[in-house]
Amino acid sequence: MLRLFFATDIHGSDVCWRKFLNAGSFYRADVLILGGDMTGKALIPIVRDGGRHEVLFRDDRHVLETEQEVRAMEDRIAARGYYSVRVSRGEMIALQGDPARVEALFAERMQSTLERWLALAEEKLRGQHLRCFVCPGNDDRFEVDEVIRRSAVIDLAEGRVVDLGGVEMISTGWSNPTPWQTYRECPEEELGTRIERMVAQLRDPTQAVFNLHCPPYRSQLDEAPALDRELRPLYGGQAVRPVGSTAVRDAILRHQPILSLHGHIHEARGVARLGRSLALNPGSSYETGILQGALVEVDTRGVRSYMLVAG
Amino acid sequence: MAGETAGYFVRRATGLVRAWSGFDAFIYAFFSVNFVTLGMYIMSFGPFVPKGHLLPAAIITGVLVTFLVIVYAGLIAAMPRAGGDYVWQSRILGGGIAFVLAVTGWWFILWHWVPIYGNILSIQFFAPILSTLGRPAAAQWFGTPTGIFLSSLVVLAFVAYYIAIGMEGYARIQKACFWGGLVGLAIVFLLLLVGSQAQFQQAFNREAVSLFGASGDVYAQTLEASRKYGFTPGAFGSMPLGPSILLIPMLVFYLLWPNWGATLYGEVRGASDYRRVFSGMFWGLWVTVALSVVFFLLVAKTMGWDFYLAANSNYWATIYDPKNAPALAVPLWPYPAMLATWLVNNRAFQLIVLLLMSLWFWGWSGTVFLSSTRVIFAAAFDRVLPEWAASVSPKSHVPTGALVLMVVPSIVVSYLYAYRPGFATLTLDATLVIAVTYLGSVFAATIFPWRRSQLYESSPIARYKVAGLPLISVAGVITIAFLLFNLWKWVTDATYGVNNRQSGVYMLVLYALALVIYIIARVVRARQGIDLARIHSEIPVE
Repeated sequence: MLRLFFATDIHGSDVCWRKFLNAGSFYRADVLILGGDMTGKALIPIVRDGGRHEVLFRDDRHVLETEQEVRAMEDRIAARGYYSVRVSRGEMIALQGDPARVEALFAERMQSTLERWLALAEEKLRGQHLRCFVCPGNDDRFEVDEVIRRSAVIDLAEGRVVDLGGVEMISTGWSNPTPWQTYRECPEEELGTRIERMVAQLRDPTQAVFNLHCPPYRSQLDEAPALDRELRPLYGGQAVRPVGSTAVRDAILRHQPILSLHGHIHEARGVARLGRSLALNPGSSYETGILQGALVEVDTRGVRSYMLVAG
Repeated sequence: MAGETAGYFVRRATGLVRAWSGFDAFIYAFFSVNFVTLGMYIMSFGPFVPKGHLLPAAIITGVLVTFLVIVYAGLIAAMPRAGGDYVWQSRILGGGIAFVLAVTGWWFILWHWVPIYGNILSIQFFAPILSTLGRPAAAQWFGTPTGIFLSSLVVLAFVAYYIAIGMEGYARIQKACFWGGLVGLAIVFLLLLVGSQAQFQQAFNREAVSLFGASGDVYAQTLEASRKYGFTPGAFGSMPLGPSILLIPMLVFYLLWPNWGATLYGEVRGASDYRRVFSGMFWGLWVTVALSVVFFLLVAKTMGWDFYLAANSNYWATIYDPKNAPALAVPLWPYPAMLATWLVNNRAFQLIVLLLMSLWFWGWSGTVFLSSTRVIFAAAFDRVLPEWAASVSPKSHVPTGALVLMVVPSIVVSYLYAYRPGFATLTLDATLVIAVTYLGSVFAATIFPWRRSQLYESSPIARYKVAGLPLISVAGVITIAFLLFNLWKWVTDATYGVNNRQSGVYMLVLYALALVIYIIARVVRARQGIDLARIHSEIPVE
């Protein structure tokens, strides 16, 4: 029997990444799987102004007098899942008028953070009888794959069949179209083709795990706040709509894997049954530093037990 | 493409939504502390504290509930998308306590709110509308056990419909009801503002004669009957603070719920999200308090404060003390909106206003099971309840498991409420049990900065301090004192009708039931290799 720990959507949170690496020993898991969307969403400039620094973080303006205070702020920003960059007042003004430069800075910060994370993973996972798989999500740039591929302790799972230890798993971080036009999204037909290409390589899809970042349509695992055209949540955030993928749903219903793992919609933590398949979305609270996850025991006969955890 | 937002840069990424409308959040909170359905209903119990005055009591309650709002806004901002009391308490106090308190307060006790909703529907909708249509016998029938049971079933049907259509459909209906209900209330207030007391007396006498076959000066008879029964209403201008405070454990029946179902979706940016959550609940509470004050002033001016209290005293005497109660010239609950419409001698107008006022009920009724569904889902995801409790029909997408767990017991409870003498008294615990659940969450919030310091420090509320202490803890201590005061009064003072042995035993049975379910779940899951204690244990960072 295999014990899997699955988490997803940690979006650059240093704290969640560290917890993820410790989850194996904490939950006595055999396999760690990170479902996607590893990288952060925001870049916080720490602006040099004479001998001190200024930063706007979580709606608060902070004035940092010492190098120690600046470093502490950088740690707080990283814990929250954001990237920080030290700039002069002039550089800040230049950045405000140059989206391409900001984009490049994002790419550079993502890469350096990821390299730091992988170094930490080497330190923590080396020598452990623990396998770790990571599959970037729709919010992750393509360069992320290359960085992960270089790791000696983490396997890149995107687009391929991997053996978890008697149970096969397919993975993709691609999603159906979103209002944000992110990096890895495509029409439903194309997403279906991507999934089928991997399914064709499975020994027996009914004994496999599907690790598909996007949840199945109308499964309750895909209920996101309903938005207006300006991306403003409707009705005070109370109204939700299904935004999952029909291709993912069709694939699960057609092939009936023992387990399907999802993320993407942070609010939609839950469990669903699609035919004989158990579908899980542990949700995400990355910004609070809580690592939401799913602990699942599987063998080729199916899921023996599962629980959603908040560690 | 990356973009700049107020001093920092965001890139294209899922879930980066703009701030939601605070006004929409206000509507939700405003409907939860429902001025008409819950407010007018519980205000009518004012004569049970003869020396107290509703006006200062409403304001003081508003001030104290504001601290509850501070606490809940803090929990919501610190642990967004968590789903409410059950998850907050689980993370801070542990799964067992959380399950027992949340399941009792947000599930079991809400079975008992259904007949309360049914009773309110009966006295605020069916009875006044049927009497206006010239069917006083039918109106009175809705006060009989079968009438109340039928009203409860109507409530259940509507609530089940709201759950079936989902939150977005319900929110749309609620918004329409909000505006329609406000128009109705504005007309009622306008009638009370422009009408004189002489006109009201004349209108009341006219309608009592016309609709219910009374005779003579019914207005004066109402006052006299009350006096003979032993209740002498106090003057409006007399507002003694001490006795008025004793009304607070009643008024929380409507003012304790601005946080009902409040949650936070989307990315949490920072303090602005805390302020937005706080504002929605704060204004929902305080606009309701303001409406209450205006209502009291208008009632005193046009109906006469002594008449208002006397009419309510007479009515409740027929329910709780039928042997000694005076005969009612108008044998219905003195619904203020209905009495106000009588100022216009036109049946169609009266009917339209009453229908508009009923929107306060229809827009609000869906709230009864909303939080229950969330708790049941959360407990099922935590494996404390069986998986089917969170099951959703693949065809209709209705949460069938949760609906069954809510609806079936509610039918039984509604039946007992309607037909079993004395059972209605037990439902007065409805507020008490939820207050105990609040107490658990508020206690958790108070110790939160120390118990989960990392989580607290990373939250947007960490910046708010009072004399160096976390605001959430300071507000928490005040709220604990406030809730304990209410609990103490409910348990020790016969005025509130819940301090009897039967009631206490009944409550304990509900808590014991929750505890038994949790223990069984622990044992069963342990046999399956699932350690429920692990669910909310924090993984070490280093």
